[in-house]
Amino acid sequence: MAGLMIDRVTKRFGEQVAVDALSLDVAPGQFVALLGPSGCGKTTMLRMLAGFEALSEGEIRLGGRTLASREQHVPPERRHMAMVFQSYALWPHMSVADNVGYPLKVRRLEGDAYRRRVAQALDLVDLAAYAERSPQELSGGQRQRVALARCLVADPDVVLLDEPLANLDRHLRAAMELSFRDFHRRTGATMIYVTHDQSEAMSLADRIAVMRDGRLEQWATPEALYRQPRSAWVASFIGQGSLLQVAAGRPGQRLEEDTLMRGLAAVAAERTQPVLVRPEHVMLLPELSSQRGLRARVESATFRGERYELHLRLESGEALLAYHHAALVEGQEVALLLREGWCLEPDR
Amino acid sequence: MVPSLTEGSQQRWLLTLLMLVIVALSLVPSLRLLMEALGDLAQGSEAPLWRVLQAESTWRALWRSLYTSGLGMLIALVLGSLFAFVITLTDIRGKAWLVFCFMLPMMIPPQVTALSWLQLFGPASPLLKSIGMAPPLGSPQPLHSAEGIALLLGIQSAPLVFLALRTSLLSLPRELVEAARISGARQAQVWGQIILPVTRGGLIAGGAMAFISSLGNFGIPAMLGIPAGYYVLPTLIYQRMASFGTGMLAEMASLSLLIGVLALAGVALQQAWMKRSRFGLMGHSGRAHDFSLGRWRGGVTAVLVAVLLAILVAPLAALVVSSLVPAVGVPLSLESATLAAYHEVIGRQGATWRAVRNSLWLAGGAALMLVLCSLPLAYRLLRLPRRWQSLALGAIELPYALPGVVLAVACILLFVRPIPLVNVALYGTLGLIFVAYLMRFLVVCLKPVAASLAQLDPSLEEAAQLAGAGPWRRLGGIVLPLVAPALFAGGLLVFLLAVNELTVSALLWSAGNETLGVLIFNLAEGGESVLAAAVSVLVVALVAALMLCLSLLAPYLPKGVVPWQG
Amino acid sequence: MQQRPLTTVLSISVVLAGLALPALASEKLVLYTSQPNSDAQQTVDAFRAAHPDVEVEWVRDGTTQLMTRLRSELSAGVSNPDVLLIADSMTMESLKREGHLQAYLSPEREAYAAELYDPQGYYYGTKLITTGIVYNTGAERQPQSWQELTQPEYSGQVTMPSPLYSGAALIHMAAIEAHPELGEGYYEALQANRTEAQGGNGGVFNAVAAGSKPYGIVVDFLPIREAAKGSPVAFVFPEEGVSAVTEPVAIMQGARNLEAAQKFVDFVLSLEGQALVSEQGYLPAHPEVAPPEGFPARDGIVLMPLDTQSALAREAELKQRFGELFGS
Repeated sequence: MAGLMIDRVTKRFGEQVAVDALSLDVAPGQFVALLGPSGCGKTTMLRMLAGFEALSEGEIRLGGRTLASREQHVPPERRHMAMVFQSYALWPHMSVADNVGYPLKVRRLEGDAYRRRVAQALDLVDLAAYAERSPQELSGGQRQRVALARCLVADPDVVLLDEPLANLDRHLRAAMELSFRDFHRRTGATMIYVTHDQSEAMSLADRIAVMRDGRLEQWATPEALYRQPRSAWVASFIGQGSLLQVAAGRPGQRLEEDTLMRGLAAVAAERTQPVLVRPEHVMLLPELSSQRGLRARVESATFRGERYELHLRLESGEALLAYHHAALVEGQEVALLLREGWCLEPDR
Repeated sequence: MVPSLTEGSQQRWLLTLLMLVIVALSLVPSLRLLMEALGDLAQGSEAPLWRVLQAESTWRALWRSLYTSGLGMLIALVLGSLFAFVITLTDIRGKAWLVFCFMLPMMIPPQVTALSWLQLFGPASPLLKSIGMAPPLGSPQPLHSAEGIALLLGIQSAPLVFLALRTSLLSLPRELVEAARISGARQAQVWGQIILPVTRGGLIAGGAMAFISSLGNFGIPAMLGIPAGYYVLPTLIYQRMASFGTGMLAEMASLSLLIGVLALAGVALQQAWMKRSRFGLMGHSGRAHDFSLGRWRGGVTAVLVAVLLAILVAPLAALVVSSLVPAVGVPLSLESATLAAYHEVIGRQGATWRAVRNSLWLAGGAALMLVLCSLPLAYRLLRLPRRWQSLALGAIELPYALPGVVLAVACILLFVRPIPLVNVALYGTLGLIFVAYLMRFLVVCLKPVAASLAQLDPSLEEAAQLAGAGPWRRLGGIVLPLVAPALFAGGLLVFLLAVNELTVSALLWSAGNETLGVLIFNLAEGGESVLAAAVSVLVVALVAALMLCLSLLAPYLPKGVVPWQG
Repeated sequence: MQQRPLTTVLSISVVLAGLALPALASEKLVLYTSQPNSDAQQTVDAFRAAHPDVEVEWVRDGTTQLMTRLRSELSAGVSNPDVLLIADSMTMESLKREGHLQAYLSPEREAYAAELYDPQGYYYGTKLITTGIVYNTGAERQPQSWQELTQPEYSGQVTMPSPLYSGAALIHMAAIEAHPELGEGYYEALQANRTEAQGGNGGVFNAVAAGSKPYGIVVDFLPIREAAKGSPVAFVFPEEGVSAVTEPVAIMQGARNLEAAQKFVDFVLSLEGQALVSEQGYLPAHPEVAPPEGFPARDGIVLMPLDTQSALAREAELKQRFGELFGS
């Protein structure tokens, strides 16, 4: 297995810059997610990896081999990759088995060996019974699995996935996430997964590249992204939380309870450092009369099944999100403690 | 799959009525001919119908018709698909010009094309003379053969295949090609294993139109086949016409029945094949895939240009040359070149301008009216049960499949008396030719529209329905814009075919009502070939100018409307 | 949108009505002719100049198409034209036999030779269009007789019009077969000599002028007129003689405007009408009108005799034989 190196890749469409000097170093066998809102360039990057778009600047290397650069462009059919498309891209004139076996057919594998590998792939995705059907007869989830089986069969170095779960319902998505993880474990292939859904990315990926307007915002593991987001924008994109201005700390520093509370109590003019406070770090005090704690008012309470989400308003006017086990009345005053906070870089 | 019309709604009633009227009108000429053919059956074995069916010449001509039309269809498929694939799916340069030039030969009347090819390969060919390869006087003409006929038939109907296939290709989702490429398929494999099978529908539709239009073609077999004694059904009919006997009409009608049966068989076969090729092509087909030709680009461009040189430039050049000489057979040189023919037709003969006006009026009016009718008609047809749909489509196909001369005879028989009740006398007026054109070209406009409608995602209309749009509003606001490219393409095709149409108007015109095709034919027949060539050049120039206007308007029209742009 | 089908129906009716209006015209003469376009226009214009009160509506078509049109109309029970001016007398004779023509004894007929018109006055010949030999001036030989064309030197080099499409060719075939020297074997000989049968005379002329076939059998006015313009062709009146069609004029039985029809017949037969014929490049039937440039004097032309009646009787047989000989 070879590592995938994306080296200052830039893509321009006329005047518009879709991808701006993106650099990533993907270790062999890693599951990487390209995460970002629509228009951030993640799909363009994926298509450049596949070879469907030529890059304007930079280089893409797989192992020691240069796949793309300003002078060179290896066509998709020679990159030895596989791709799961958002629309699955199953050929309507072929049966499911023929669809799955196509990469083998192209490599001139025939006879028993061919049939065996096709059957194996179909078994792995649990669709052996549908081998002779035509794709039009399958449901969305089944088509998704056929597309996956088609990737399995070729034994590729890199598997590219373009928002594959976008068209599926919640339960199916959960089941498919398991399938992907299973697939990754089984094959050990390097997987590049494009999505705008951060929970998907967090549950599947080893490392996530958060993109915005063509640029890389942060490249980290899911835990790091969650606990130590670099900027306010990344913080708002990943998980839930509240942004508070405090007079303490530097970007990249974790603030403990005391420092945080003191920093909040300072004068407004000194409170210049943005700090991320996750809702699970907000503790509501049982009694209002206590001296410790910040005062806040409940603006709304939403039932989420496992807990309540409380939207609170501090005296300073800032909004705060907290979790609670019980329902609270709108307008109710509460006292709370902030356990920890994370200092962010100011937004560009 | 297609959302059905609400039972009892006003829309359903009106559309059904329209459909019945149109289908009836399409069937009426064929029924009248049937009446004529069966009229004298009482005569027993002497009846014209039996005479025709027993004559050896009939079956020989039938077989020859099938052979030349079939071979012509294959040639058209090769040419048309070559251009369609290269222009729609690759990054070749100069696409707009290539398409423009490819569609131009359709505007040259078939007889003129045949004539110019004959001259190109004859002993007096300026081209061959200049390279010293002119055959000696009187040597046999290679084009006077079945293969020569098939070649020209193929060239004439190649644009039909092109247009049909292009529509199919434009809706090919990009992902299907990309998935194949990333699975490791090289370009050739992608073409053969993915693109061709998925766009089979377009090929079949184009091939069927090419076959049927070749079946009824008269001009080319007349020019190339008669001198070789090689008769196909339309020229056999023409021969029967010449015998003037009392049984002539019945014999003509019987022979036309044979052609009609062949055409219907062709349509049935096409529909059977289409059933297995109808793929609901979902997917983001915003842009069609662009194959990069790389180092092949020069070679492919050269091939296309060579084809265009052969099918367009050479005949046009021959035409222009023969319009600049003072008389037929005088070699063209700087001294002999003269514009006298142009002076004559533009300045002195009022017939030319009348014919231009008539042809433009007829072609434009027919195209417009058919465009208006095609959408509601196709909309209704697609919601019929499958069997009725096939029958209705077959009925509409007939007036196009029948040779023009036969349709004209049927129209004469039908309209020579004033229409009862309304008491409108169509005979001897431009209106008669107009009605004949409507009957004849309906299927040309309907086919692309029906194909486009069939591919429409039903959820688009359903979303509008939920939003509260009534049936007419949906038809006008949702369906119409999406189908507009096909509508315009159909209308354009009708216009191009009608402007040069000859065989129908040849029998239906009268003084003051001549069309361009008739004018050219009369001039050629009367031995005034130089004048005929001059008028032909003017026609080509006129239609080319119209097409250029359309190009200029293209930014204001929906995408894909102008076939050679975007 | 709601009114679309209605609007469509309405607009169709309006369009049809508007277009049909000219057809409901007033008193006029309807002429069916197989003359070439410009000749027909000139004839009509000259007639209207002489008779300004008569409006003329004319239809021009090849004889084949014209007769098809006529037959279709008659079959539907409608008689449209008042006068016919078509290529050959055999067609006229058959129309006469079926009772579609009416007799009119024109005063102008006195000047003409008797064989040029029907004795009862059903139809009158207006010109003499002879069929002879044309050759390309670049060709090796200059044939002077019909017999020569069957010689081996001319194998595959000759083209001719088909009697199945051209009235003149049909008459020619009948005249040749009636000729004592050439007789029935002539066409077989032509076929054995790989002679090519075109559709009409226009096609034959084009082929010879363009050079694809150096020799041809064609009607006289085409090569004579075009040679004057520079076409590399020459016309020969062969030694054995030429056949001729007279392009007869006749009045239809169902003519609505009998008076105008008779005026037309008289005009075409008059000195004025015949002078126009000569101007147009044809040999006029009237003996006192001078032939056009390029034609020999009238008495220099040898006509092969033809009995129209017997020719008509053999028409079907002639066409069938030709069709079998030259393929169908």
